[in-house]
This record gives sequence, structure tokens and C-alpha cells, in this order.
Amino acid sequence: MLCHRLKPSAKIYTAWSVSVAQMSTESVRKMPSALTFDRHAKCSTTKARASTLKLPHGEVPLPIFMPVATQASLKGLTYDQLRETGCMLCLNNTYHLGLKPGQAVLDAVGGAHKLQSWDRNLLTDSGGFQMVSLLELATVTEEGVRFLSPHDGSPMLLTPEHSISLQNSIGSDIIMQLDDVIATTSPDHARIKEAMDRSVRWLDRCIAEHKYPERQNLFCIIQGGLDLELRKQCCEEMVARDTPGIAIGGLSGGEAKEEFCKVVDTCTGLLPDNKPRYVMGVGYPEDIVVAVALGADMFDCVWPTRTAVRLLSRQPKPYTDMKQRFGDAIVSSGTLKISHKAYADDFGPVEEGCTCVCCRPTDQGGLGLTRAYMHHITAKETVGAHLLTIHNVHYMLNMMKNIRQAILDDQYPAFLRKFFSDIYGGDKTKFPAWAVGALRGVGVDLLADS
Amino acid sequence: MRFSADKVEICNIASVTTSAMEATPPAMSFSLLGSAAPVLAPRVGRLSLPGRKTISTPHHVPLTSRGTVPHIAHDVIRDHTAINSLYVGLEDFIEKKSPAVYKTPAAAHESPLKKFTCVAEDMPLILGPRRFPAIPCPPANTTSSIALLTSVGFRQLPSSEYLEAVRNLRPDIIVGMADLANKEPGNKRRAKMVDRTHAWTTEALEKLYGDSVPEEAKPKAAFFAPILPLDNAQQSLYLEDLESDFQWDISGLALYHSASLEFVPESLSNLPRLLFSEPETPHNVLREISLGADLLTTPFVGESSDAGIVLEFAFPAPAPKEGDVGLRPLGVDMWSSEHATDTSPLTEGCQCYSCKNYHRAYIHHLLMAKEMTAWALIQMHNFHVMDLFFAGVRESIQRGTYEDDVLRGYQLPANGSNQPLRMPKAYGQLNQAKQKFTESQIATPDTDASGLEEHGFAKKV
Repeated sequence: MLCHRLKPSAKIYTAWSVSVAQMSTESVRKMPSALTFDRHAKCSTTKARASTLKLPHGEVPLPIFMPVATQASLKGLTYDQLRETGCMLCLNNTYHLGLKPGQAVLDAVGGAHKLQSWDRNLLTDSGGFQMVSLLELATVTEEGVRFLSPHDGSPMLLTPEHSISLQNSIGSDIIMQLDDVIATTSPDHARIKEAMDRSVRWLDRCIAEHKYPERQNLFCIIQGGLDLELRKQCCEEMVARDTPGIAIGGLSGGEAKEEFCKVVDTCTGLLPDNKPRYVMGVGYPEDIVVAVALGADMFDCVWPTRTAVRLLSRQPKPYTDMKQRFGDAIVSSGTLKISHKAYADDFGPVEEGCTCVCCRPTDQGGLGLTRAYMHHITAKETVGAHLLTIHNVHYMLNMMKNIRQAILDDQYPAFLRKFFSDIYGGDKTKFPAWAVGALRGVGVDLLADS
Repeated sequence: MRFSADKVEICNIASVTTSAMEATPPAMSFSLLGSAAPVLAPRVGRLSLPGRKTISTPHHVPLTSRGTVPHIAHDVIRDHTAINSLYVGLEDFIEKKSPAVYKTPAAAHESPLKKFTCVAEDMPLILGPRRFPAIPCPPANTTSSIALLTSVGFRQLPSSEYLEAVRNLRPDIIVGMADLANKEPGNKRRAKMVDRTHAWTTEALEKLYGDSVPEEAKPKAAFFAPILPLDNAQQSLYLEDLESDFQWDISGLALYHSASLEFVPESLSNLPRLLFSEPETPHNVLREISLGADLLTTPFVGESSDAGIVLEFAFPAPAPKEGDVGLRPLGVDMWSSEHATDTSPLTEGCQCYSCKNYHRAYIHHLLMAKEMTAWALIQMHNFHVMDLFFAGVRESIQRGTYEDDVLRGYQLPANGSNQPLRMPKAYGQLNQAKQKFTESQIATPDTDASGLEEHGFAKKV
């Protein structure tokens, strides 16, 4: 059983006795990599890159958005429907799969790909984020995350070894290290430093525990809050460990967007060019286009799929506060709250010109779905959620496709101007200051006359 | 819109009756295979609507909710199911003062209702005033309207409004409005039911197909006249009118009780019979078919899917396997943890989308995780089982072995010693309560800390 993996004779982890500086990176074994990363183009103005990531289950064009199939299913969709949206890589959550169906079942079935009949790529998180976001009273010690069982309240411990072992059982193509996640808005600088140092130490434990480096890619997670100095240190330490890919973690936790951009910009400046960079938990279209300009490649967020679903009874409790966002369709001008009465008599597609199966007219093999009908079934029929999820995921993937094409054509600055102009109806005074500032930093002035 | 059981014959008569009829091609035709069209016997037929999918009868009619088949999205229906007809209730669309469905832009040959619900034009669409099964409405029906339940509450639907709706929405088949009682009606109510239904059918046929309506304004849709779930004697005047005055304008019959199949007048026996009933098991379905039902509603399919039950029966019943004794289950409960690591399909050899692509362990996991995909996959499988079941029924009737096939495998057991009790035991109830209490205290394997530990998620400290 997994818990026995942590042998009683194993060294005792204490928080303060081991500091990052003392750790020798040479003792860390060189990791094989189960991916190849081909860069095709770099934007001549911004730091944006277009590349292809070859993973064990197929090629992923980068930059990419990854929809989140938390419990091995995406909001009522079959995997053929997900394939139809063009998705090559989606997420599963380790915490949820660890509870249901559990490691024993995953081992018996032969991993998550077999479980869900998905022949493309999977990425799993470490489970650490759910500890902090879903559970109260989670405390982090050097050993791991201590938390109370969500069901009976007894104390539990999640260690880096547990997390990696579970992800080995899941068999995802990209696995994430367990990191010490704290809110970026935390005022306690010492704690942030501690979390950063600990994440590095946990990375070493994850690397040591990882059984299948030749078919699963372990990504490290850069921590360090909003302190750029800490982020730099963390980048240095983690880059030295030479993991196949690198994630920037601890963001999208309510920090100011300016800060978010600074952190991404700083990290990408220090990371090697030849590795994919994944900004965790970022998924609003505006954040993505800016982060791409800052040199990031991969993004994930539940927002486009959660926002499509308006069936609270089927949602676990922690999500119910998201109520007001459900039933939204993502379009190039922002989002449509499809349940609003304005759409009751609107017989246009959810988005004009969208090529998803819902919006495409029937003579082009689509369903010819109208806003009026979506309004009619949204929040009343689960099918409404399925259809809106298809549209939203397709929208995000299509946006990424356009971003990639713009970078390949070296037209990304023009893409950015059009993107913000579409959302704000051409009114430059409404452009968010953080985006304008961040893009100015990489040589694009959104406010200039094009 | 004329029906034709035997097209040539009917058209001949029609041309004698009115010359105008020659100009209108028969919109719907229903032909029975075999020479006779007997009452109270199973029968195989073919219902064709021009430009629509043909329905071989007997067939089940999938029921919709707000224009969707519950759990399965439109593209899945199109790509992975053989669904070839839909029943839609008008009450699902008219909760607003000026319902959007009436404003749907559609070309003259298109059905606005299909456009609105994004259903393919070739899908035969049956429209009735109420969903099926309908939720009983406390407000009473009146002489000119029926009570119905929209998503925002009860309202009355006047028969004139219903006729305007069907004229606008252009479904393929219109089910006439009937005055149905919520509970077993008394003598007075029965008389009212017949009078009202009689009046509404007269009004409908007059306003839709009557002589005063210009030929081009007559709907192409076929009209199915309701037959009330009452005794023959009570609605004899109405049935007589159906046979005489109405005969040329009705294309089918809508029945609400399998016993009503016995009252179908001989002269109307060539008409397709749409039976709105709630059979609980395939046995009841077979019984209804043996009484001559052509199109049947089977709400138990959706109910099974909702409950996570995968249907597992076929007709004719497969030969018993070695060592097979007793009754076989009609379905499998996918909530049961015995499927947790079972990577076999829901039914061995099943060619449905779910079985070809997924396995029991996944569907069990999805149910446990309450993911919507679980219900989508189960629903697809269950519809496939029903498709095969009805295909088996049709073949069996054509072979002439239907009665025998029913006896061999679908005979309900005679009352014997192993029958469940009709009434719960009066004693032992205290123990039952105690048992329920204990059950509620037992944690399921994945709930407590040791469960978490066992699942390898974390260690107990």
C-alpha cells in the first residue's frame, strides 16, 4: 500500500535544517524526458513563441489551452465530442481521481487513459492545490500537507511521494510535482520564502519517487509568491534540476494582474528556451493572450467549462459560490449570459462565424444552434451544459490556434490590438491598464494608432 | 394529409369524394404488412412521411424535455443513435407571454419547431399539447381549454390556441387535444371528457382541414385523433363520428390506455395507433404490441437511465446459458461497486456507441463522481437496447412466431410461492427503521480516513 512507501527509516524532514543553498543539485539524478519540444517561430516583437510539443499520446501545438476534465470527464461530453473541438491535451485532477475511483482501480484498469478511453494526452496536477483550495485546516509541514479528511475529519498527510505514486498510477503524460501552495496575496514574506524553498526540496523528493520518467514528464513548479527575487532563486534552483517542462505556479489566486504579469515576465526571462512553460490555473482569454506575449506556452482553467454549466445540484459544494457565472458563452466580444432574456428571441448562432459543431449551420454539418434555443434549455436541461461546453472549449482552442498562427506569421502585435479592440468595442480608454502596461513591457503599445 | 393504409384504394375513393384531393399528395402513409389489419393482434407496418425518416412499426417514440432527449446532446443523437422520431409537448415552449418558438424564422417547407429545437428536418416530429408523462395539474380543464404546467407554473391552453400553435409550428404529426382526468374519473366527469374531446376534435378538423380552409393553408401534418381511456360504451358517439364524419381527415389514433386498443373501430383499424402509456417492463410493452399498438412510449427507458440502470434484455429472449436458472434481470445497476474494475462493455457484443468505446469501470466511476457523461452513455445504450428489442419484435411478428416468442422468455410467472408480497408485512417495521438507521451510519469505502489511506491518497497520522 502506498502509505508504506514512506518507510519509517526514511530521513526525518525538518523545515529549517535543510536550506536550498546547501542542497547539491549534482546528487539529483538526470531525468530522462518523454517529450520533444520543437520551436517553430518566435515573435520578433514580444516574447511569444510558437512550437510543437510531442508527448507520448500525440503532438500538441503550443501555445495551448487545456480544458479540465476533473474527474475523468468533461461536463457530460463524450471523448469524441472533445476530440471534435480539436483538443489534444486535457487535465485530470489527481486529488479527485485519487478518491474516485482510487489508486487500486486505476492500477487494475491500467491508468486513466484506459479508464476514460482517451487516446490523446493527459496532464495531472499534484493534488496539492485542492488541499488548499477545497479543504479547510490544511497545514503544510516539511513531510507533506496535513489536512482533515473531507468526510470524517480524521487527520491525513499528503506527501510528495504519495502524489507522484498516484500520478504514476494515473499514467498521465505530464505530471506535476507537489508544491507548497500559498496564496500570492499572503503578507507573510517568511512563509512565502519557506514555501519556495520547500517546493524545491519537494521537487527532489518527487524526482526520486518518479517511477516512469521515460513515459511520463515531470514538470517542476516555480513558486515564490509575488517576490521577483524569490522567483529568480526558485527558477535557478529548479532549472538546475532539468525537468522536461516547467510550470509557473501560485498565480491566479486573486493577485493584481500587474503583479501576475511581472512574475510571468520575470520567470520566462530566466527559463531555458528549449522547454515548455506552463502557467497554472490561468484561463481568461485576456490573461492568456498577454501571458503568451510574455513567453508562456500552456494554460489551464476550469472557467470555460464551469461557466457553461448551470446545474448547481450536480456540483460539489465548494463550487456553488460560482453561481453567477454559470450559463455563460464565451465569444470574441467577451461573454454572453445566455440565460438573460435578451437572448430569448435571438435566432443567431452563439457566435457568428464560429466553427464549433453547435454554431456551424446545418448545411455545413453543424447543428445550427441558436441563442434562443440555448436560452430555452440553459439551466433546465443538462444537454444545454453539454452544448455550451462544446462551444466554450472550441472557442478557447480556436483562439489558441489563431494566436499560434499569428506568431508563425509574425503578426502577434496586430493580433493583440485586434483582440482587445474586439472585446472593448474599439474603445481604447476601456483597455485594462495592466494589459496595456504588461504589453508595453514587451514592445507592444495597445494604445498607439496602428 | 390523407392516410393511406392501402394507398391505391384510398386514393381511388378520395378522388371520387373530392376532386381537390388529387392535388394534395398524401403527406403521410401507413402501410400494414400482411393482408389483414386485425384489431387486437400484433402487426407490422411502415409509417412514411415524405422527406422524413421512415418508421417501421411497432416502434418506440423517444420522449423529449424542452426539445431535447434528456442527457444526450443533439450531435450525439445525430452521430451515435438511431433515433427516428421524437415526441414533443407544447407546454415545454409556451411559458412566456410571447413565446420565442412562434417567432422562429423558417422557410415554407420547414418546421419552425424543428428549427427552434435544432432538430434535423428529416426527423419525424410528433407534437402534443402536453409532455409525456405529464405532471397532473390541479387546475381543472374547462370546456374550451386544458390545464398545463409550464416551467413557470400552471396555465390554461385553449383549444383555439393549440390549433394556432400546430398551424404555426408545422410538426409532422399532430396529437389532438383530449380532456384527460388526473385521477379515476366519476360518471359526470366521464361524460364531460367525451363531450369536450369530441368538440375539440371537431373544431380541430374543421379549422385545420375543413372545407372553408383554402387548400394551400391546410397543414401537411397528419392528425392523430385522441381516444379516451374510457369504456367503449361511454365514448360510442365520439367513436362513431371518428368512423364517419372524421374518417377522411384523421391519419392516426392517439390512445392513452392499452385497453382502449380494443375499442378501435373496425373501419379505422388501418390507422396507425400511437399509444401513450407507461409500461413498467418489456413484458407490458409486448402485451401492448400484441393488442395492436404501433407507436409506443416507453418512459421506463429514461427512468432506468436516470437511475443508472443499464437495460439488458432482448427479444426474442436468448436461449438460456448453461446452468442458467430462474429469472434473468432486465437491467444492471451501474452504481454497484462490482463494476469498479470491470473493463468489459455494458453488454457483451453490444454495438452501441457506449459499449464500443467505453467500459463498465468508467461508467461506474462517472456515476460515483456524479459526472453528466455517465447518464449520456447509459441513455445511448438503453435506446440501442430498445431499438434492437423492437426490431426483434417486428421480425418475430413477420415470422409469425410472436406469440410463441413471448411465451418463451417473456411469460410472466404464474403466482407461486416465490412471489413478492403484495403488501408489506405489518410486523417487523420497527426493525426496518432500525436497519435504515444503521445503514445511514455506515460509511462507504471512500469516505473515511482509512478509506483515503486505502485509496493511496494520503496517510493517516
